[in-house]
Amino acid sequence: MLEIKCPYCGKRSQNEFSYGGDADIKRPELGKEISDKEWDDFVYFRKNPRGKHLELWHHVAGCRQWFKVSRDTSTHEIFKTLKLNEEL
Amino acid sequence: MTAITPLEFIHKKGIFGDHHKKNESDLLKISEVKNLTIIQVVQYKKSEVNITEVKIDGLEFPEQNSNVTSNKDTRILWSAPRTWLILSNKENIIDIVKKDLKEKYFAITDISHSRAVIQIKGMQAKEVLKKGSPINFNEFDLNRCVGTVFHGITIVIDSISNDPDTFNLLTLRSFGESFYHHITDSALEFGYVGV
Repeated sequence: MLEIKCPYCGKRSQNEFSYGGDADIKRPELGKEISDKEWDDFVYFRKNPRGKHLELWHHVAGCRQWFKVSRDTSTHEIFKTLKLNEEL
Repeated sequence: MTAITPLEFIHKKGIFGDHHKKNESDLLKISEVKNLTIIQVVQYKKSEVNITEVKIDGLEFPEQNSNVTSNKDTRILWSAPRTWLILSNKENIIDIVKKDLKEKYFAITDISHSRAVIQIKGMQAKEVLKKGSPINFNEFDLNRCVGTVFHGITIVIDSISNDPDTFNLLTLRSFGESFYHHITDSALEFGYVGV
């Protein structure tokens, strides 16, 4: 069981959170012409690294805020949590 | 017309669980909190209002997470950034809120009808909550609130007294019955009085 530090509420049990996927995904610029492959990559393809990964989590049972978690997927060590407008 | 409360037909009064040879006044008390007005207030991002200058029923809006401001009738719970829950026994609290908070800057929603509220009171109240919630109750003081889970059910815990420990537990109305049974089942080993 992970203990995740919500940037708004502090340390809480993983039970209160919901995983939201890769936090590195950037939506293609609005109005910009992009290829089917670029669109396909954005919609479907995700990294699945063994090691350091930047993830989105949702404090669904607490403050209901989304935030980023820098985590090692093999050791489960959490390096840092950030608000959505913050960068590593 | 009298409204039917979420636990009207669920909550049982009487003494239950392991209460033999125990003083009734020492047992846990579990009751449904009725006639509580619950208002959710969300400050819009573009709001120009300085929230520290606003008061409702003489109470400031807590800015720190998990904090509560309170008086005899009303409690304001920090719920999320720029989001609060106002719990009050005052019938006209919605009028007070709408008068003091301009709807241009705040989303004000009366959610009283959509929540079941259970009060648990007694020396073992924290022990009951520990069975289903991951919160560290040893550091959970008076006038603190927290949004968390209890056996997978999303709840808000509001600590309203510490002599003896008393908590108001809010959950969605539709989860009320299931949550009530989780709480009462957890309280059986201590013995409880349904009030």
